[in-house]
Parts: sequence; structure tokens; C-alpha cells
Amino acid sequence: MSVSTPGVQVETPLFVPVLAALPVCACMAILGLPAFGHGHAAAFRTLYFLACLAWLMPLALLQRTMWRRDWPWARMALALLVATYAMSLLNAVLGQRLAISLGLETGYHWEELVQGLDGCWLALIAFCAVHAVAAYYLSLQQARLHLAQARAAARDAELRALRLQVNPHFLFNSLNAVAALVSAQSNREANRMLGCVSDFLRATLAHDGRHEHSLAEELALLDAYLEIEKARLGERLRLNMKAGPGLLDQAVPYLMLQPLVENAIRHGIAPLATPGRLDIQLAREGAQLVVEVHNDGQRPAHTGSGIGLANVRERLRHLYGDAHQVEAGWRPDGRFGVRIALPLRAVEDA
Amino acid sequence: MNIRVVIVDDEPLARLAVKVRLAQQSGFELAGEFGDGDSAHEGIVALRPDLVFVDVEMPGKSGLELLAALPPAQRPMAILLTAYDNFALQAFGLAALDYLLKPVDDERLDEALDRARQAFPYRGAGRAAATPAPLIRTFSVRAGARTVLVPVAEVERIEADGDYATLHARGKTWLLRERLHNIALQLDPRQFHRVHRSAIVRLDMIAELRALTNRDALLRLRDGSVLRASRTYMPALTQALQHLDPSA
Repeated sequence: MSVSTPGVQVETPLFVPVLAALPVCACMAILGLPAFGHGHAAAFRTLYFLACLAWLMPLALLQRTMWRRDWPWARMALALLVATYAMSLLNAVLGQRLAISLGLETGYHWEELVQGLDGCWLALIAFCAVHAVAAYYLSLQQARLHLAQARAAARDAELRALRLQVNPHFLFNSLNAVAALVSAQSNREANRMLGCVSDFLRATLAHDGRHEHSLAEELALLDAYLEIEKARLGERLRLNMKAGPGLLDQAVPYLMLQPLVENAIRHGIAPLATPGRLDIQLAREGAQLVVEVHNDGQRPAHTGSGIGLANVRERLRHLYGDAHQVEAGWRPDGRFGVRIALPLRAVEDA
Repeated sequence: MNIRVVIVDDEPLARLAVKVRLAQQSGFELAGEFGDGDSAHEGIVALRPDLVFVDVEMPGKSGLELLAALPPAQRPMAILLTAYDNFALQAFGLAALDYLLKPVDDERLDEALDRARQAFPYRGAGRAAATPAPLIRTFSVRAGARTVLVPVAEVERIEADGDYATLHARGKTWLLRERLHNIALQLDPRQFHRVHRSAIVRLDMIAELRALTNRDALLRLRDGSVLRASRTYMPALTQALQHLDPSA
């Protein structure tokens, strides 16, 4: 994973410097408490406190400006040290001004200005540090969130693309079959076929874009599809579709069964000279939903699993990670079988 | 006495589809056809047809508005046509006889016309009640050279297979040379119900019924087989299931 080191995002909200100021102000206030009741000391403490407080806003803006311009850390640190030092000096000048107005001093002592800066300077530096850390942390969180969103979007797009591969060639094949029926003047059959195709399209159009739906919806889609195949193949397709009790609410990937069944018919049963049997079984096995599609067929000389099965595998991997199994292949009884096991989980319905 | 029909659809080809198939039926005669809601309104008032096929989506006055604008006494029996339906409930509110999804297939149209035939005698006073086809108790099925008798009570479901029908009874299937539509007329509606263009089900075989988002439903029968119930059959099916006597 490559994440470019996030420069602090400029768009950290304005409450961040306020939050950063809180601990610094609290420290100053607590340190100043013993001075209360000691006459002038309290006045000086209050003055320094308010002066520092006044500096926080320009200081925060300065930091944000530097982040926005993408200054290197060292340069930023140096600039902040200089700025806070200057601010502390100004605070000291204010302190001497207070001393004069209180009558404790008669004039400014410029040579003493650099003494006793510790309170203000340290406080301002502490604020800068807390502010920087808070902003950095927030921007890191944001970067993580963006990354996660980007990944989810990519996965979504990929799933959509995989799903769309399923439809078009089936649609054109069906239209072709209708054209053939019209040419042969089998009007009733042609009409019936159009009805089946419309049913299937209606069922796919009703889909709301979720990647999973209930097994009931999936079986209805499959049934609409199978009706088209039945119309095309007639007696040559011997279908046996069975589902165990209480499974209709389980979540399954949208259009998972149709490509498997299309494979079974196209590559298995359709090329046979004799009628072929297609068995579709849905059962509960422990905490898994097991889908089995078995079909008669002629074992091909060269084996290559169809695009349909590859597509289904890919989508299952995206949706369930390691929590699923797919097995496909020719079985000892000479039939082709696909077995898919998915975690049982009821679909949350609208 | 023929049932007089008016067809209202803005697409000439859609009107043709109904007209051509109507011509193949006995007992119906075309009284007129209209391409928009307004002229249809005038036409229906003037022609007073018994049955009207109405397209739901039309420019100007929609099929539903057209029906609603007619006073109930003048409202003919209505069969609604729609390409993309969200109208079923409204349609039944207006006491439409049936509604068909486009493209309309022959099976489904035949069935709608049957409903019209059955409802027709009850509309006007003094007309003779139609005699319903007698119920059958046994199917006789040709299996090779022999003929097998399959008791209706053993039949679990019947599937359409072109001009044939497949009977499923006790794990076996039998091919019957008759159309589903004709079989449906000879079965007791308290026991058997059409659930789809191509399926009739014995009601007490239904183990699970789950509604789908497109208002169809999926049925799971007691032997584990699954099949779709089309939305156009759902109101009748739910009603029949409610009245199903478990002891029968």
C-alpha cells in the first residue's frame, strides 16, 4: 500500500486550534493560581495570560498559512520559534509598561527585557506543538477515510462491470431465437418467447443495484431465464430445481446462478443430441448455503472453464473473501458439476 | 350475442396486436379503436361497448383517467395494457377486469378474454348465465402405446410446454396434448390456481410464498421445487390461499 505522506491538510476545522489552546491555557491558569492574593504578582500573571491568549489566534493562522504553503518542517519550526520569541518579547514590554503604570518602575529597562521570558515563550511553543499534532492526526484520519472510500468505490465499479458481462449475449441470443420463430411462422411460440424475454428484463430492471439480494429474487430471475431456455430447447432440457425449506430469505449475490446455468445449458446440454438433465439444488449445510448445479454433457477434449464461471468466482471473491468455496469440474458419473458454498445470512430487506 | 370491444392505444401496432388476436376468437366483435384518451372518451360514450382494452400510458388523458372520467354505469369492462407497470392497484380500484403486461402473449390474452366471457352475462340483466366447463376428475395421458389415467387429485402442478402441458404427479411427469389455458378451465378453482403464464399449482402443495420487490412472488412447493407467481395472478392467489380449507 502506498500512501503519500500526508502534508497536514489545510482544511482542518477552526475548532482544532481552540481545542489545542485549552490545555495550554489551563496550565497557565493553574501555574498562576498561587500568585493570587499577592497583589502585584496576580496582576502580572493576568496580563501575561491575556497577552498569550491574544497571540494564539495570529499564531494559529500563521501555522495554517505555513501548512497551506507546504513549508518543510524544519523551516516551519524555526519560523515559529522566532515568531513566538518576538511575541514573548512584546509581552515583556507590556509587563514593564504595567510596572510603570503601577508606579513600581520609573522607566523601561531594555537590558532586562530578555530575562523572564520563559513563561510566555514556553506556553506559546507548547500551543504550536499541540496544534500541529492535533492537525496532523486529523488529516491522517481523513486520508485513511478517503483511501477506504476510494477502495470501496473501485470494488463497487469492478463488481458492476463483472455483473454487466452477464446480460448482453444472452439477450441477443434470445432475440435471435425469436427471429427464427417468426421466420418459421411459429407465431404463438414467438410471442411466448417475447413474453419470457420481457419477464426476464423486467426482473433485472426491478433490481435496485445492490450486489446481494434474497435467494427468492435470485430464483425468480433464474426461473425467468430458464423459461426462455425451455422455450428454445423444449424436450431436450430436463430440468429439476429444488430448494430446501427456509432458505428463501438468505442473501446471495445478484445474478450468481444464471451464468452457471447458462454455462451448463450452452456447453453441456445444448450440444447433446439426446435430451439432457439439469439439476439445481439449494440446501443448508451447517452455517452454509450450498448451491449445486449438475448437468449432462460431453466432456470436451480441451478444458477451459467458461467466462461465466470465472466471472462468478471473481465476484464471490470480492463479496466473501475466504468465507466461500467454489468447486467445478467433471465428476466420476460423467456429468459436469459446480458446487458453491456461501455463508448463510438473511438479507436485510427494505 | 357478441361482446363488443373497443381498443384504445396510442400505438397503431399495439392496437393491431390486440385486433389480430381478437379476430381469432369467437364471441367478440370490434366496435372501434382510438388512438388517444379524448377521442376514446367520446367514442365509448357513443358506442357503448361491453369491453375495452386500454393502454395505461398515453399522451394526454391516460387510460386510468379515461376510465375514471366515465360514470360507473357507462363504464365498460376494462382490460388494461401496460408496458411498465406501477398501476395494478389503481386498476383494481377501478374494477378493471384484468391487466396485461406488454408484450402481451397469447396465453395471457386468452385468459383475459375468458374472464371477460365469464363476467359478461352478469353485466346486463336478462342474459343467460354462461355454463362453466365441467370439472374433470382424471386426465388420460398417452404414454407410448398405452393410455394412463392420472387422477386430478394426484396432480401437484402443471407446466405449459408450448401446445403441450406437463403434469407433475407423485414425482412423475406426464405430457398432455392440451394447452394450459384449456386445462385451467376444467379444474376446481378452490384446489388449483394459475400462478404464472406457464404454471398451474395445486394450492395445498404450496409450502412457502415469498413476495418479491417487483410484486411477483416466489413459491416453494412441498417437494422442494420452486416457481414464480406473476403479479397479475397474485391478488387472486392470495385470496384463494386464505380460503383454502386445510382439511379439504
